[in-house]
Amino acid sequence: MNKRLAGRIGLVFVAFAMVLGACGGSEGGTAAACDGEIDVDTIEAWAHEGSEADAYRQMIDDFNATAGSEVGLTVNLTLVPEGQYTDQVNAAAAAGDLPALLDFDGPNLANLAWGGNIVSLEECIPDDVRGNLLSSIVSAGTYAEELYAVGSFDSGLGLYAWRSALDEVGARIPTGPDDAWTAEETEQILRDLQAAGYEHPLDIKVWYGTQGEWMTYGFSPILQSAGTDLVNRDTLEADGTLNSPEAVEALTRFQTWAEEGLIDTEAVDDTNFTSGAAPISWVGHWMYNPYKEAAGDDLVVLPLPDWGDGSKTGLGSWMWAITSAGAEIDPDAAWAVIEYAISDESIISITDVNGAVPATQSALAQADAFAEGGELEIFKIQLEGAPDIAVPRPITPGYPTVTSEFWGAMDEILLGADVQTALDEAAAAIDADVDANEGYPAP
Amino acid sequence: MTTVAPTDAVDEPRESPKGMSETRVAWMFVLPGGSMLLLFIVLPFALAIWFSLTNQRLISPLQTRFVGLDNYMSELADPVFWKSLWNNFRFAAFVVPFQTVFALALAVMVNQRVRGRTVFRTIFFTPITVVMAAAATIWVLLFNVNGLVNGFFEAITFGNFAPDWLNDPTWAMWAIIVVSVWQGVGFQMVILLAALQDVPSELYEAASIDGADAWRQFRSITVPGIRNALIFVFTVTTILAMRLFDQPTLMPRSPGGPLDSTRTTMVHMVDVGFGRQAIGRGSAIAILFFVIVLALTIIQRRFVREEAG
Repeated sequence: MNKRLAGRIGLVFVAFAMVLGACGGSEGGTAAACDGEIDVDTIEAWAHEGSEADAYRQMIDDFNATAGSEVGLTVNLTLVPEGQYTDQVNAAAAAGDLPALLDFDGPNLANLAWGGNIVSLEECIPDDVRGNLLSSIVSAGTYAEELYAVGSFDSGLGLYAWRSALDEVGARIPTGPDDAWTAEETEQILRDLQAAGYEHPLDIKVWYGTQGEWMTYGFSPILQSAGTDLVNRDTLEADGTLNSPEAVEALTRFQTWAEEGLIDTEAVDDTNFTSGAAPISWVGHWMYNPYKEAAGDDLVVLPLPDWGDGSKTGLGSWMWAITSAGAEIDPDAAWAVIEYAISDESIISITDVNGAVPATQSALAQADAFAEGGELEIFKIQLEGAPDIAVPRPITPGYPTVTSEFWGAMDEILLGADVQTALDEAAAAIDADVDANEGYPAP
Repeated sequence: MTTVAPTDAVDEPRESPKGMSETRVAWMFVLPGGSMLLLFIVLPFALAIWFSLTNQRLISPLQTRFVGLDNYMSELADPVFWKSLWNNFRFAAFVVPFQTVFALALAVMVNQRVRGRTVFRTIFFTPITVVMAAAATIWVLLFNVNGLVNGFFEAITFGNFAPDWLNDPTWAMWAIIVVSVWQGVGFQMVILLAALQDVPSELYEAASIDGADAWRQFRSITVPGIRNALIFVFTVTTILAMRLFDQPTLMPRSPGGPLDSTRTTMVHMVDVGFGRQAIGRGSAIAILFFVIVLALTIIQRRFVREEAG
């Protein structure tokens, strides 16, 4: 009896496992069939709980009260903490539990689209809405020549500085990405600042750690500015690109900054910059408001250093997409919310809070900070110069491995590991992942 | 129950009042718990074995392919796997003896008839009630290079010893060991305390009459008296040490860092399976780790056998 039972249970498991295994392959590249009719009364949405969380909440409340109530649609918003957000999304995607409307960090787009977890917006987005988007938003939202996601804002990355401290050491204030400090110049300024009593003059937010995108978003522009990249954009492979001599040279210099204490690696929060102890901070748009509050008119926003091939920066930020589950329920409902999220009014209420670049031409035109001579004009110039100045992170389904290998290597480099070895190992792991997934063939 | 008539039909299933055989009743009792075990332990494990033989990815439109032992081969050839396994053993080698001895010392201490011993018992037990995630956050601040821990060491070493604990490959594991012992020792103390109170006091009285000093009493009465509890604590601490995950994930600025010095097999598995989405390879790590822990437990049972009763 026992043996027979055990045998039966075993059989059930094998069958179960095979069914699950066979389910692993879902169809990628389906498009949402928008027909303009909203047929459901509630949909679920997930968003990350970042600096714009309150603005998101407000936006969804406003939608439910106005545009939503007109068509009888209510959105239930769930906010998930930012640090674990991508893992949560991936786990839900694997389990088939994604909400209809999904907010996600831009570089994961290709992975979600490739896996068939989000659907193309081509049939939903009207031409005038599309034409109003910044080109950087369109390029970040496009995978395999179809638009899968749009954001309410795009990102800006640069060096924030206390002008008075720069004046103290006679540093030149660049006017735009064209005349950014060179790497050598930056190093000299940092040394001068250190000599002037700023013990660790450059804040690079090491304490953000490696959970989330910071290390890749913040420091892969060093590679691109040195004339190389994370991966070869055609083959998606990293060997010969990520571990090229240019990459090793640039990151070795960056490592010396950490070793000589020019970089503040001990900070545990933002006070090193807000107190003026570290007068230069290498960080994104989200710190503009807190920094402005601390430094007032003394704050300047400068381009990242030029490592030889011009100053580069990142682009892309959080984006909205319709999941395959949402497309099944009713893509029009999810699209109605997205359309509301990229209306000028919604965009400006979000970007006022997080300092990001508004995602549409019309909203951008209304924002004074980004106008000519405005403090954040540089972010606009950088994005308009995409992909020559602002460079998108590689749009590949293998991005999760690319980013985790790069931030791992970056972390090791900052801790003093051998740069060539760290990059060689990262490149090998990225390439092994590409091989294991048959080169990530486009759907 | 008390009035069951003695019967000699040991081999024949007895009939219950409703005519069900005892075997069937037994199976029905097993059913709720047993099906949970099957659903949440056995089935996932069976699936892990299957996944470990495929190229399964977390999200993928590709057909899952059978790849044989590829995942195992590449994992066994990966120095990071061995490094994380080594970290597990390194952690266990310090935590298991240290925590057991420390728990025993605390238990003996709070077992004395002194005023306020309930207060001490409570204080020693409190850390176990704190969620690890919360405790880790506080300890990160304490271990900061300018934190309280270094304040203490700087004071007693006149500033000669003040490492950046969690960012220094040499010291990060030590910080984690300290936090783990701090958190785990209270629970082990309670188990040992319960065992201590079961040791008959007549034995101590007889020993004092025979002229045995406190140390001799401890060695010859206390330790043998709580042998089973000690073995239990030893085994459980070993298993808990092997599955170390929370502290190395939450305390260093990157999980398992710096320079993989606190990367344990669990951290590695989650990183590969979820971070890089390689479920197949992550499953292979899980299976390899299962085999290793199983072997370890068997060896331990061989060496230290509990006494019956």
